[in-house]
Amino acid sequence: MKRILFAFLFIAAATAVFGQTADEIINKHIEAIGGAEAWKKVNSVKMEGTIQVQGAELAVTITVLNGKGARQDLSIMGMTGYQIVTPAEGWNYMPFQGQTTPEAMTAEDLAESQDDLDAQGNLIDYAAKGHTVELLGKDDVEGTECYKLKITKKGGKSETIYVDPKSHLILRSVEIRKANGQEIEVATNYSNYEKLPEGIIVPKSMTLPFGELILSKITINGDVDETAFKK
Amino acid sequence: MKSFISSLLIFFTCVSYSQTTINSSTFGMMEARWLGPGTMSGRITAIEGVAQDGKTLYVGTAGGGIWKSTNAGASFKPIFDKYCQSIGAIAIDPQNPKVIYAGTGESNMRNTVSIGDGLYKSNDAGDNWVKLGLEKTEHIAKIVINPVNTNIIYVAAPGPLWNSSKERGLYKSTDSGKTFEKILFVSEDAGCADVSVDPNHPDTVYASSWEFRRKPYSFNSGGNGSGFWKSTDGGKTWKEIKNGLPVKPFGRIAFAVAPSAPQNVVAVVEAAETGLYISADGGENWKKQSATFNVVSRPFYFATIVIDPKDPKRVYRPALSFSYSNDGGYSFADATNDGGWVHSDHHALWINPNNTNQLYLGTDGGVYISLDRGATWNFVPCLPVGQFYHVALDDRKPYNIYGGLQDNGSWTGPSAAAGGVTNGMWKAINGGDGFWVQPDPNDIYTAYAESQGGNINRINLVNNKAVVIKPQQAPGEEKLRWNWNTPLVFGAANKKNLYAGSQYLYKSTDQGRNWLRIAPDLTTNDKKKQEQENSGGLSADNTSAENHCTIFTIAESPLDEKMIWAGTDDGNLQYTADGGKTWVNVSANYARAGIPAQTWVSSIEPSRFDKKRVYATFDNHMYGDHKTYLGRSDDMGKTWTLISSAEFTGFAHKIKEDLVNKDLLFLGTEMGLFATLDGGRNWFRMKNKIPEYALVRDIQIHPRTHDLVIATHGRGILIVDDISPIRRLTKEMAEKNVVLFPNEPITLTTGQFGNGGFPVTGGWVAPNPPSISPIKYYLKERASMGEVKVDIYDPEGRLVQSIPGGKRKGVNMVEWNLCMKPPKVASGGTKIDFSGFLAPMVLPGEYTVKLKVGDSVYTSRLKLVHDAADKNFTLEDRKKQYKTATDLYKLHEQLADVVDTINARQKLIKENLTKVQDSVLKKKMEQYHDELEKLRGECLATKQKSVFADEKKLREEITEVYGGVTGQEAAPSNLQVQRTTVLQQEVKKKEEAQKQVLKKYDGEVMTGLRKEGLVKPPPGEKKGF
Repeated sequence: MKRILFAFLFIAAATAVFGQTADEIINKHIEAIGGAEAWKKVNSVKMEGTIQVQGAELAVTITVLNGKGARQDLSIMGMTGYQIVTPAEGWNYMPFQGQTTPEAMTAEDLAESQDDLDAQGNLIDYAAKGHTVELLGKDDVEGTECYKLKITKKGGKSETIYVDPKSHLILRSVEIRKANGQEIEVATNYSNYEKLPEGIIVPKSMTLPFGELILSKITINGDVDETAFKK
Repeated sequence: MKSFISSLLIFFTCVSYSQTTINSSTFGMMEARWLGPGTMSGRITAIEGVAQDGKTLYVGTAGGGIWKSTNAGASFKPIFDKYCQSIGAIAIDPQNPKVIYAGTGESNMRNTVSIGDGLYKSNDAGDNWVKLGLEKTEHIAKIVINPVNTNIIYVAAPGPLWNSSKERGLYKSTDSGKTFEKILFVSEDAGCADVSVDPNHPDTVYASSWEFRRKPYSFNSGGNGSGFWKSTDGGKTWKEIKNGLPVKPFGRIAFAVAPSAPQNVVAVVEAAETGLYISADGGENWKKQSATFNVVSRPFYFATIVIDPKDPKRVYRPALSFSYSNDGGYSFADATNDGGWVHSDHHALWINPNNTNQLYLGTDGGVYISLDRGATWNFVPCLPVGQFYHVALDDRKPYNIYGGLQDNGSWTGPSAAAGGVTNGMWKAINGGDGFWVQPDPNDIYTAYAESQGGNINRINLVNNKAVVIKPQQAPGEEKLRWNWNTPLVFGAANKKNLYAGSQYLYKSTDQGRNWLRIAPDLTTNDKKKQEQENSGGLSADNTSAENHCTIFTIAESPLDEKMIWAGTDDGNLQYTADGGKTWVNVSANYARAGIPAQTWVSSIEPSRFDKKRVYATFDNHMYGDHKTYLGRSDDMGKTWTLISSAEFTGFAHKIKEDLVNKDLLFLGTEMGLFATLDGGRNWFRMKNKIPEYALVRDIQIHPRTHDLVIATHGRGILIVDDISPIRRLTKEMAEKNVVLFPNEPITLTTGQFGNGGFPVTGGWVAPNPPSISPIKYYLKERASMGEVKVDIYDPEGRLVQSIPGGKRKGVNMVEWNLCMKPPKVASGGTKIDFSGFLAPMVLPGEYTVKLKVGDSVYTSRLKLVHDAADKNFTLEDRKKQYKTATDLYKLHEQLADVVDTINARQKLIKENLTKVQDSVLKKKMEQYHDELEKLRGECLATKQKSVFADEKKLREEITEVYGGVTGQEAAPSNLQVQRTTVLQQEVKKKEEAQKQVLKKYDGEVMTGLRKEGLVKPPPGEKKGF
């Protein structure tokens, strides 16, 4: 009897592993990061941190006001650049290599970037938002065998995410970014997940190809004025 | 009882699951560097491009997977690294170019051809793949998609090469590859070599069947199974094409249907007299054409003929060289070598259908691009897919790599170099096919290399001159038999001993000037296996590739130079314990362990820890048996244990025992690299940027750097730098959540190489190993929660550096450049000042490393030492350099404070200028701002934005000296020291000037602002002041 029970458990576990659908994985992931309810209360996010680039610190601030605007500021040695996206316009200003005035985003880039205005993340109610998710199977992320899911966003961008089957946290995302007529793959690894007072769980470390962004301060639903999204 | 055992089994299974499994992820950040090179590249088997954009290319290789370019060949990346690396055919759905099919198992049936494991499909342009089936076909020659209904696919499978099998023929799918039906099957000995459809009438299908078989000592192309076939009903019924073709039997038939006028068909038909045939009526009638040597050469190996997509008269025949015809095949011309030699032996050609001047050619030496319809060619230097057979290393700093490749001779190149290892740093030292290359352990100017069939040379590495040292037949001896891949090795115990083997074993102690035969014929000397003159079938082919009854591997015990092992290609493994006086054949002994007779002994590894222990790999694939055979004997070969693992795939090429940890072993097979940390009980497949099914032919471990150097047959040389952490990792350690490895003392240095020079303009560039030993730690699980960082404290306990730590499962490595944190430099200005990235190197001493993982802290010592051997940079020099560098460092920080104060005041003024009511105050504020701005403009460059306009103020002046002194490994010069003193005075002046400006304005302006309520009184002051 005991033996049968054991065997049954094994089969059940095996079925569970292989029978996971994309939706089940996404739902477990959302539970793992605090649940949809907590995330739906998020209206604005402001994240401040630094990236160490060869010993020097690059200050980074990312601000998103749900549906209204998204802004990234990079600052090093008193020099500041930014990228702004709003429903109506978008700007890039990167003075580090000699750019002197902000450059407007093309209509195509702006349309694709609209999904960045989602302060709650694209996965909460993804279908209602017009995104699709496909389970591509399993793949290795630095020694952890992860679920591999491809999200095709409403605006047309796609992103592949790798979900740890134990924690259901995202360990890596790979985005295809367009630059100068070429497609470039940008991989980001996520770690140092931390629960915020608002009940949501966010990664405070993001490893990018050129360095690690470490967040020191995250403000949820603080005052973010729409004027922040002007060039 | 049975049920009890089952329960127990499950119990133990559970227990083992709860333990940490040591596997490839344990290696963590220890990932392979891809050395390439791209210089000679390797055999290309398939090229397909996307017609819609003319710049997306898929290149299939003989042993390096599939490489994709999205820029017409300027750069490539591998997209098939999790699967079988031998590619036979690629097809792109002409209607949806994101759909790609890949057939594994090359069909250029040379002696060393690798095998495939079926047909794969990607729906997203190569990002993800699924296997569709046809696993047992082993070789796929072509995939053709019906251009009108792309759900219909034809797959031509020559099938298994070494044995009879039903798994061959022409397969058809009508549901995009979900299911397949075999629609043309001739016999268990004849598969399908080629297929085409008429693009205007896609139910018209042409196919050629091919009878071909290899044995370890001969091959046969041709027989009654070979034929040329046509169907007009999508493969339901077939009729044989004959009219005008030569008398059967045929061998291999390669053919092409003209895409723009499909009634025109050309074919190269291997027969008693191989010829080129043309049909103008859809294959009903054929006419023989006179053809050049190239057009009809070596049909079993050159099976490509292509007609221009638009011009039915333009016919291409890539073969030994590249031929093209302008008149439908009546006459041919050859490509010129203007612009550079085109490597011989061609197997693939893609023509851009929208720009038919643009051609891509696949050869035994990489990809070439033509923009003039094949008349001249440019080499693509960025595909690192060379097929090494063996690898050897020297002991120079950095060490050099030596190895020989399929059809690409023998090469040497550095393991590291300033700017990375580039194509041009590799040097060809011997021609032909290359195999073993040995640097002379006692003479850095000499190496030994060979070409096929035992043609051994001693090479002067300075001028590349060669001396022939191949041993010759002595009176009374049989004709010497040399393997295609003749063993040539140095002694492991006595590095003066050079060994080479025919059927006899030879030894030289004077660089091959004199040889001594130290063994009788060690092979079975089976005469039936020595009839190579009759090999080839319809076309005679005797190139030494089928030479048999030869010695294939030789190894001297690292513990005793008199103990020598030799293994043969016909199943003998023999040793001598007395330097060759007597020999013992142990082949009958390992047969008892389940290793078949006649098997190739592919490698022997006498243990360096126990004189009686020996490992050997056995390769039986030439008898149709692809199992992985690895044996170990602990009693000089008397009894053997067959070491097996469910992980193993592919027949075995090489077993390597670690130099320090006797339980650490590496096994290279035709389909992967495997490792064990417990002496062979548990094995795992190595990943970590090693293609999972890499064709691993040879493995070396460098005794000084502890690098694992892997020779692959399709991905060049791979190096996993410094495997010492894995050596030290015991099972008990692996159970711990975190292990901070002890640090070896580190010599203070800015690194192995400088940063000078220009960027590389193309080709394959291999990165260097870290030139400063990283801080290493092991994590049992990936750290997803909590922070991971490494803090470094100096001997006085001050924090000198804080670095984010790796979080991955297994070994993590944090690179510290041995410097402090860079100074805070004056902020603002028009350009980034690079002093903000530069810090003085710390001084020698005992440092402390604190690894923080979440809430836990792990501590280790780190000893930093000065290189006393460096006469150009003494400890005294270092101290002087440190002093001047830190003086300048302080100057930057002092100036930064001055500028911070200025910036803060200017910000305050700007914020309030429009709000101020009092016009006098307003004026004062403007004056204050202007004077601050004047001072700021003296402190740092504020005006010129262009990188071509140098504006040099005090910050930039400090940086010039700081950048020099801090980055160099030398004492500061007299003028650098003097200049520092001047700059100290300059900074002092700016500090003074800033104080003066503040004194002049600040009290008045602040009082005014407070009066107007625009700024709050400083804390502690009472309201109403």
